[in-house]
This record gives sequence, structure tokens and C-alpha cells, in this order.
Amino acid sequence: MFLEKPLIEKVIAEALNRGGEFAEIYAERHRSSSLSLEDSRLERSSSGLDSGASIRVTKGRGISFVSTDRLDEESLLKAARLAGEGFANGGATGINRLALVSPQTQNPIEIPPSSIETSEKAAMLYRVDEAARGAGSEIVQASVGYSDDFSEILIANSEGDLAGEERTRVRLIARVVAARNGMMQTGYDSAGAHRGMELFTQYSPDLVGRTAGEKALVMLDSRPAPSGRMTVIMHRGFGGVLFHEACGHGLEADIVEKGTSVFAGKIGEKVASELVTLVDDGSISGEWGSNAFDDEGVPTRRNVLIEKGVLKGFMYDRLRARNAGAALTGNGRRQSFRHPPIPRMTNTFILGGTQSRDEIIESTEKGFYAKTLSGGQVEPATGDFVFGVSEGYMVESGRITTPLRGATLIGNGLVAMNNIDMLADDFEMNIGVCGKDGQGVPAGSGQPTLRILDMTVGGTEV
Amino acid sequence: MLDIARKALQYASRQGVDQSEAFAMINSSLKVKVYRQEVEELASSTGSGVGIRVFKGNSVGFAYTSDLSGDSLEQTAKAAADNAAVAVSDEFLGLPEPASDFPELELYSGNLATYPVAEKIELAKSVERASLERDRRISQVEAATYAEGEGLVAIANSLGFGREYRETTCYAFVQAIAEQEGQMQTGVSFTTGREPSQLDGVACGREAAERAVALLGASQCQSMSCPIVTDPFVTASLLGVIGSALTGEAAQKQRSMFAGLEGETVASGVFSLSDDGTHPDGLSSAPFDGEGVPTRETVLINNGVLQGFLYDTYTGRKESQLSTGNGVRGSYRTMPHVGTTNLRLLDGTVSLEEIIAGVDLGFYVTDVSGMHSGANAVSGDFSVGATGRLIRGGQLSEPVREVTIAGNLLTMLKAVQIVGNDNRWVPFGGSVHAPSMLIAEMTVSGK
Repeated sequence: MFLEKPLIEKVIAEALNRGGEFAEIYAERHRSSSLSLEDSRLERSSSGLDSGASIRVTKGRGISFVSTDRLDEESLLKAARLAGEGFANGGATGINRLALVSPQTQNPIEIPPSSIETSEKAAMLYRVDEAARGAGSEIVQASVGYSDDFSEILIANSEGDLAGEERTRVRLIARVVAARNGMMQTGYDSAGAHRGMELFTQYSPDLVGRTAGEKALVMLDSRPAPSGRMTVIMHRGFGGVLFHEACGHGLEADIVEKGTSVFAGKIGEKVASELVTLVDDGSISGEWGSNAFDDEGVPTRRNVLIEKGVLKGFMYDRLRARNAGAALTGNGRRQSFRHPPIPRMTNTFILGGTQSRDEIIESTEKGFYAKTLSGGQVEPATGDFVFGVSEGYMVESGRITTPLRGATLIGNGLVAMNNIDMLADDFEMNIGVCGKDGQGVPAGSGQPTLRILDMTVGGTEV
Repeated sequence: MLDIARKALQYASRQGVDQSEAFAMINSSLKVKVYRQEVEELASSTGSGVGIRVFKGNSVGFAYTSDLSGDSLEQTAKAAADNAAVAVSDEFLGLPEPASDFPELELYSGNLATYPVAEKIELAKSVERASLERDRRISQVEAATYAEGEGLVAIANSLGFGREYRETTCYAFVQAIAEQEGQMQTGVSFTTGREPSQLDGVACGREAAERAVALLGASQCQSMSCPIVTDPFVTASLLGVIGSALTGEAAQKQRSMFAGLEGETVASGVFSLSDDGTHPDGLSSAPFDGEGVPTRETVLINNGVLQGFLYDTYTGRKESQLSTGNGVRGSYRTMPHVGTTNLRLLDGTVSLEEIIAGVDLGFYVTDVSGMHSGANAVSGDFSVGATGRLIRGGQLSEPVREVTIAGNLLTMLKAVQIVGNDNRWVPFGGSVHAPSMLIAEMTVSGK
């Protein structure tokens, strides 16, 4: 612990001196380093240190939040006083003695990134570049990015919870451009985990480069995507981001609480095909979206959100759980000490089914195969979502045929979840950074290959 | 802050480097969120830090810290020099020659700090009320936010440059929700300024309500190719992607649809686009960029002809050009990189009403979604979700949702038939001054 217990208690007491009901301190020391390579040259290497704390006081549904990038006693007490003044109309509230909270999971680190020389990390980026360019002679550009982050987190609150955690994440990204006769196409792949450099002994960096290169090359043979409603098969892994957007965000309690989610008030109701079981689990050791605690000191856990098509529960932070009288789910997350926690997903996925991927393709007469999604967006109030497909294919007579470019999938979360009619046994996870209210947090998503009937594909060919 | 930057520079100069630069920043921010006339969130933050960039044997290294103590600055300077050691050497890297003339800009209002917090809260409340009172079908306002920031930026470098500036910004943002027959639709609006008195909270609240209500009863339309009218919000989102492809870096690295097209016609004759880091109303204006180069107006596309690209010092030198003052930097935690400041599409003379009146069957788009995933700045291909209203016989007709509009941005630029006269500043896709546009044809995918 980089802050002493008596100081933490003093700060929390100061924050609750003016009429607040609950007070919390979140302190962080963060170290990061990143490398980027382009044109087969290691162009940039940077590193940094960032530390600070925020004090949050709540009363009823109101939040008063103050952050500072100093960790000395004077600065912390000043921030606590300021946060407490958000409710300057009451007396002091008592606080509980601090006691350490135990997590349900750990994310052990075998090879800390700080133990590896920067030059060795640079050598890895050159390998990725070589692998990407080795995919074919039409590759004209590859950019490779690497980053590692190490944070020491300390969270304590007036209810007496005290949690500390060290978090290490590594991430590798390759973006490749292929060109033919003036047409340029791109390919992307990445690997990341809440782990150390051992990730790259198990998941070869070369594979990230080669996969991105191959994707760009395939798309050189693509033709413009068609438009209109059709059956869509979502390839394992990447498609999980569709469910992250299409229904995950609508299951976050801040939106549910205001009644602006299509899922509000539907607990116990059938909201998806009975094939669908949707889980959010921040306690899977080593996964990209995992932590021992959420950013409010609540141990992460496995939460079944939709079970066999029936809505089971929502994802909560402390404030919304208290408002709803619900159990804590460990979904209070924030980008950094500069941001207040809000309900967020961790690793969100649809459990695998029993059919094989081949069976699904073979039983599809005509459709669209979405292999890689480039990201998307949802309007939780309506459930309407949109997704870019960076690698798509036609499905004709039970076979994957022509690659298609420029397609977007558009639909409604509730409708799409009900239209899932086939689920394969090839579950896979993927990594991403989820943005909400201007805060980015690492989020994993996953799914098996699955089929959705009657979805709108927005291409350029009518 | 300039003294901190100079102190950091001294540490950097002891690291055996050829050139060095320190970017120091101090900022504070306040945000108020109101829900049902109660304060839902009151958040404030203060922070400061230094980013040190060094050049050593023609390679660059960078490191930052939020700890301004001498020890920390010294360690950061050392880390920057260590980082330079792994980067490749590049003859075009280096600091810009210090300039002497800088645009004089009014970016700071002392009123921001003296304006009472209670009145800022009241401003957010008035925005929410304006939405609710505008139309009885507005069921609630999901968020009515007032936010402000004050910053002090200082840059010093080993070629003798040393300057600082202050700035303030504030805005109100609102998302209104309209409900009718079980369907919800949302509408957003915002108002921006340098101090609260410049914000029009009531107009902001009303506009969000109007945008939400206009979409009630929306359904999917038939797939078709038809003329598209984009409102300023949508134009701004499209220009954001186009702007990212107009940087020297994107062009040099073959990552731009505009690469190699300088001097050629890339858009219709009515389309003229510039980047202007000096515009008094642009929220990305500053006297100098993240490398200390004076900002200016750079014409990118003039009457449809591509004039050039935006450069920072490095990408400019590669073309034997000077920086256009576009070495942008979001915070002390990042190295400067070439990017847009305020994009401005030169407005036309035709009003939105006249544009719509001239369309027999078309789609008036008021919102697009999935722009970051659905638009490719390299190939120009894009396909994004769209909502808005059909135009029938020159009149706005039924609302539309769950469709996409798709095409290629280069084809689209050439198909711009009319640029409207309703230019306004939009904070989507960066800071963009955008009017409505009529595009001859685009693919709408629906039923």
C-alpha cells in the first residue's frame, strides 16, 4: 500500500464531514511504456508516470467527485474537503474501520514488462513487421504498436472496505495496408491480456502480423458488399463485440435505472433466443478485461446476464446497486483516478453451442459471413446498433465465397438476439477498449460462430 | 509553467542529447450533470505534468510525468534519452526553428473562474427544462451537462523557444428522449464558448428536444440510391474522417485516399475546405501548436482542387516544406503528432429549406453512427448507420431509422452539389465549422 492506513481513514473522515452518506478514495500510481513501428522502422518509444487520487462522496443519487494528481496529505485532505462540500448541509457521518477485502481471483504475472529491455521489445515489433510483410508482395505498409501498463491501485471507503491491486497489461496491435492497381485495403489483428510478457511466449507475435497481413490481402479480391436484409453468420471471437454493443450496454445499470434501456423492467422475461446465454465475467484469470477488484474495490465475479434467452440481471456499480437494492456485481469501473466509476462491462460473452461451424455454413443457402468487425456503436434507448465489417464474405449454397468490403451491419439488439438460430462449439475471446462517457477501459468480448436470421447489411450495391 | 518547462529542459540538456523540448501543462476542470432538476454529479479535477522530447543522433525519445519535483523531472529526462536510444535515426527529425510572430487570440476569459458554481448548475438545469418544456413528448433528459476547462500550456526548447498561453473553454451538452407509442428516440445538442455567458442553454435544450421528436415513429425505409442532405452535425462527422486523411503523415505513409492527388480535382467545385488554428470561435485555436510553431489557416481543398496537406515539423521537412502549425498535442502525456485544428468548410448561399425544396425523393440525415468503425480513411469506403427523414416532393416526410448510408468519400466529395449557408461550429469529428450539404447520390440500405 502506497498510502498509510491512518491517512486513508483521515481523508475519508474529512470527506464525510459535511453531510455525505458514503465516501471513497481511489488512488493510483501508473507507469506505461509504448513503442510504435511503421515503414519497418521503430519510430517512437515513449514512457511515463502518472499518479493521483480522487475522492468521491455520494448522498442519495448525487455524486460529488474531486481528483488531484498529488498524493501528499495536504492535497488529499483538500480534495476530500472539496468533495464533501458538494453536500454542505449536514453534519459528520461516521466511518467504519478499514479491513482488507479478499478477491475471488488473481492475475499472476510471470514476466513483468519492466524486466524486459526496451530493445528486446523493439526486436519483437520488427518480427511482427516482417511477418506482416511476409504475408504477400502486395503489402505496402505495416504499423505495429506495443504498449504495457502497470498500475498500483488502492481503494478504500467509509464502509470499511480496503482493496489493493497491482495490474499489468500488455497489448500488441498490427495494422497492415495492401495495394493493387490503386486499390488499398487494410487488415488488423491484436493480442492483449492482463498478464506480462509471457503472453508472447504463448501467443506468437508473428501470428498477429501474419494474420493482419493476410486479412489485407484477402480484401484486395473483395467486391462491394450488397445491401438489404439477409442471414448473417458471425465468425467466432470478433463478433462478440456486436453483443457487447447490441445488448451489453443496455444491461448497464446506470442506463437501466433511468428507464432508457430497452431491457429496463424486463427481468425474468425472454429477451433472446433460448440458445443464448450471455455472461459478464471479470474474474477470469489473465483475461484482458479482468481485474481482481473492480474500481470500487468490489471483487470481480461471474454474472449471468441472460440465461437461455431469459434476462437474469444487470451490471452494477455501488451507487446503482444501492439505488436498486441489488447485489454488487463488480462492474464499477473507471479509466483512471481522473474519472468517476460507472457501470461497465469486463469480459462479456455468449457461451458456445453444440453445432460445428461447418454445419452452420452448410445449412445457409444465401447469406453474409462477418469474419472481422471493426467496431460499432449502440443507442441504448432504442437498442439500434451499427457495426463496421472489415472482413466479410458472401455465403452461397452452403459455402463461403467472395470477400466483401465496405459492409456495415445494422439492427436492433432485441430483434437480433431473438433471431439467433444456430450456435457453434468454437468459442473464442477478443480484446478491445470500450468507450463510454468519455472513458476508455479494457474490455473483452467473445462468442462462438453463430447465425442471425434477417439482419440488415448496408453495403453500396442495391 | 514556463519556469517548470525550462527546469525540465535543463535536466534534458544534461543527458547528452542534441536537442530537447519540454511541454508543461496545468489544467483544471469542472463538470455538472443534472437529472430531473437535481445535481447528479459535480466533478472537478486539477492536474499538471511535463512531457520531455529529446533528439539524439537524429532519433527521438519521449517521456512524461505528472510529478513536477526535480527528481522526477530528472528521471523523466533520462527516460526520454533512453527511449531515443531504441528508435531509428531519421534525418528529418528535429525541433522547428523558433518563430517570432504569433497570432493574437482571445482564448481566455477570467469570468470562467469567478462565475459562481451555483449559476453553472442553474445553467445545466435550464438546459434540461428547455428540453422538457419544448414538447410534451419529451419524457426525460438523460443527461444535461455543463462542463468547463481552464489550461495553461508552456513550451520551451533548446533552440531558445519559450512561450506560454492560457485558455478557457466551456460547453453545455444535452441528450433528450422523446417517447410515443412505446418508441423512444433521442436527440442531442450542445453550445460552446469561452465563458458561461456565451452559452445559449435554452436554444441547446430546445434543439435536442426537436431533434428527438422529429424521429418519433421512425421505421426502416426501402433500400435505394437517392440524393442525401446532411445536416451540419453529419457534415462535421464526415469532415472529421476527411480531415484525418489530409495530414502529411497519412499521405506519406500511403494511408490516405488523397495521397498523390495534390493539384488534382478531388471534390466538386462548390467544396472548399481549410484548417484554421487561428479562428477566434474555434475551440482548437491556439497561438502555437504542440511544437511551438505559430498556427495559421491552411487551405486544403479550394473549389474542389486539392491544395496540399497539413504538416508538423517532421512531416513537413520530408517534403521540404515548413510546418503548417499542425503538430497537435492533447496533453503532456503524448508526443506532438500531425493533426487538424479547426476544420472549416466554406459555406454557400443556399438555405437548408431551399436545398430540401429542390429534392424530389431523398434522405435528410440528422445523425450518423459507427463513423469510427464504418469509414475507412485509406480506401475512402464508408458505410454508417443513419437516422433522419425522407424528403418527398421537396418536403420533409416520414422519419427513418435502422438504415445505412454508404459510398466512397472521394466519390461523395465529387457529388456534393450544394453547400448550405447554415455553417455552425460542431464538436463532432474534432472542431468543425460545418454547413448542410446536398450530395447527388448515395446508397441507402434498409428493407
